[in-house]
Amino acid sequence: MRALLVLLVPVLATAHIGSPDIFYEGKAGPYALFVTIRPPAVIPGVAQIEVRSASPAVKEVRIVPLPVAGAGARFAPVPDVARPAPDDPQFFTGSLWMMRPGSWRVRVEAGGTEGKGEFSVPVPALALRTLGMQRALGAVLLVLMVALVAGLVSIVGAGVREAQLAPGERPAPARVRRSHGAEALTLALLVGTLWLGNRWWNAEAGQYGRNVYKPLEVSASLEPGGRLRLTLRDPGSLGLHRLDDFVPDHGHLMHLYVLRMPEMERVWHLHPVSGGEGTFLQQLPNLPAGRYRLYGDIVHADGLPETVTTGLELPAVEGQPLAGDDSAGSGLPLSRFDPGRTTAVLEDGSRMVWLRDAAPLRPKGAMLFRFRVEDAHGHSAEDLEPYMGMAGHAAFVRADGAVFAHVHPSGSVPMASLEAVGRLTGEAPPAGPHGDHAGMHHATLSAEVSFPYGFPGPGRYRIFVQVKRAGRVETGVFDAQVEN
Amino acid sequence: MIGGHWDISWHRSIGRDTFWTPAHIAIYLCGVLAGISCGYLILASTAGRVPELRGATVRIWGFEGPLGAFIAAWGGIAMLTSAPFDDWWHNAYGLDVKILSPPHVVLITGILAVELGALILVLGRMNRAVGAERTRLERLFLYLAAMLLVVCMILAIEYVSRTYLHTARAYRVAATFAPLVLTGVARASGRRWAATTVAGLYTAFLLGFIWVLPLFPAEPKLGPVYRSVTHFVPPDFPLLFIAPALALDLLRRRAAGWKPWAYATAGGTLFLGVFMAVEWPFASLLMSTAARNRFFGTPFLDYSLPPWSYTARYLFYPAPGGAAFWEEMALALVLAVAGTRLGLAWGSWMRSIRR
Repeated sequence: MRALLVLLVPVLATAHIGSPDIFYEGKAGPYALFVTIRPPAVIPGVAQIEVRSASPAVKEVRIVPLPVAGAGARFAPVPDVARPAPDDPQFFTGSLWMMRPGSWRVRVEAGGTEGKGEFSVPVPALALRTLGMQRALGAVLLVLMVALVAGLVSIVGAGVREAQLAPGERPAPARVRRSHGAEALTLALLVGTLWLGNRWWNAEAGQYGRNVYKPLEVSASLEPGGRLRLTLRDPGSLGLHRLDDFVPDHGHLMHLYVLRMPEMERVWHLHPVSGGEGTFLQQLPNLPAGRYRLYGDIVHADGLPETVTTGLELPAVEGQPLAGDDSAGSGLPLSRFDPGRTTAVLEDGSRMVWLRDAAPLRPKGAMLFRFRVEDAHGHSAEDLEPYMGMAGHAAFVRADGAVFAHVHPSGSVPMASLEAVGRLTGEAPPAGPHGDHAGMHHATLSAEVSFPYGFPGPGRYRIFVQVKRAGRVETGVFDAQVEN
Repeated sequence: MIGGHWDISWHRSIGRDTFWTPAHIAIYLCGVLAGISCGYLILASTAGRVPELRGATVRIWGFEGPLGAFIAAWGGIAMLTSAPFDDWWHNAYGLDVKILSPPHVVLITGILAVELGALILVLGRMNRAVGAERTRLERLFLYLAAMLLVVCMILAIEYVSRTYLHTARAYRVAATFAPLVLTGVARASGRRWAATTVAGLYTAFLLGFIWVLPLFPAEPKLGPVYRSVTHFVPPDFPLLFIAPALALDLLRRRAAGWKPWAYATAGGTLFLGVFMAVEWPFASLLMSTAARNRFFGTPFLDYSLPPWSYTARYLFYPAPGGAAFWEEMALALVLAVAGTRLGLAWGSWMRSIRR
């Protein structure tokens, strides 16, 4: 049976690459909440929800899943109560079913001594894999299958041999022979049934396999004049993809991170413009020859975010100076990986300090990554300004490039997704952790910036943190070792 | 069977699927009880502790017991086997929002075997009994046969919902199960109105669900929710098997001494003809506003039915007409005749069961 074929299809990407969990920090009315959503890998499937309240005032948290748009968005199912942890009354957990693929949101409702508040966190619900069967379960089911087949064959044999005899009568040899024939026929029928069942199983598994999300594909080419052309292609997955419905996120249709590989010592954060349906164009800056990895964040009109990725081998590019919101940064090469280093010297001579404790980093642990910007004298910088509407941008990248997440102080959810949910549901987009998305363009910011995130698995990671200071984008580069 | 229909209604009204819903427990308890009680009966018979069964048992793998006990115990094990299989299926491919999936077929096969085992357990005794005991066992036999019909129609539920009752496929599917059960049971029981009684019990069982389930509150716990649901959603109105069953019972009285194939041809044709003659116009009634009341149960719709679905719009599924329709109906006729013939053979075999 197919049960014994033990296969695990690797986890693919949705928004971000290899980092499907969603982290969001925001204000539900008077309460600051840090929400972690671990979407299911199969659809329909169960999403795990964790909510941490910053204050003990929150007494009850309710969670409810809703499609962002369409007829099913009108009625909400009964909200689930997220249960507080026995030893930590500010930490609530629950689970929710996501029943069909697409753009969903989880509405988080908090109640407590200061009244009620709620916000919605967008969740892309996409089937990422099908699962093979564990060997032990396969063995148990195989034994049961053999026992059931043998049992049924024997029951039919006994039925033919003895069931019609009067009490006490012994079966005649002819009946015994007939019973053997019936047993053989039953066995043949059962083998045939199992063969058909196996075919059916394979067909069903194939059907589910076709429903597994395939990210948009992208090819990159260098055009004369140092122009990069990105061409997106729909690999055919559930009819989810469109190439003409992207919405701007922080004013840009695509946020493109370009990393020099394999050392990741240089990073560019660029913003290609649309060059027609499914095409993006970017005037490149000067780039040294070498191998690069590209990660492009885009958001569909229904709020579904995706990240496209590709590798690219480039000759030395004579480009043009960075303009607009485009920025670049550099750090030590990965061959000098140093997870103990918590201070990065910025290009203007100031410093960025990672405020972390000595506890080892663990996979799946949702936490706030806090960074403080200091001037050359070690004083907290007082001249930070928003960079594309945000206090900062962080990219978490695993050394092999297989994990990439672009995170903001409000979390891993793109602003465009939040705005899409607001637009489609009529709900106001939630305020950020400091109640401050709107008007941030002109605000003066604290020297400290934090990013809610959790590493998806063990490994060596590089963190690129970007802030804007006195009109200039600065990039701090840090290393992180995530233990198993 | 109560667990089966309760569980289906649970999925249509609440939607939440953990293994430990009361409806699931009711289903699996049936398997556990069948396994334990029949297992006990087999062990006790093997040890010679059931004097009334002495000499009236079959032998399998050194164990002795009534044939029905072995079949029901087998069904219990099959049902329990389906539990880890189904759980894995959900984890591997997501919750199946349909009834016909491989693990569910293992479960339904197990339930069928429990029903069939109980039927044969009663038969062995019934065929040896006389007088009042036989009458009592005959009634029990007809009740069990009705439950068998209920299980068969659960297996076919996705093809015979009211939206499909103007498609030839619905009649083909009904013709696959009903003539076999009705003819077989009538033949085995020998009671004059056996088929009618079985169809009547099937009808009463489903009407009970239609009238009782909406009395209990239920709210959807899964999205997307397309419509507000406040109470348990009942099953579709039972198929009008009562009419062809009555016709089959009348035929049986006239056709004593007919050759089996002649009887099967007449019985299968009669079943399909009468069933279509009553069900087709009745389906139109079910779709009309006249049926949108507590009696027929059609106002109650699943929370997960999108507004554009045929069921939600009270429309028949557009079925292929013309030659394709008649081809499928011809197949339905062949199945009805073959089912009747098979029912005769099965009924004769059941009549001869002594152990």
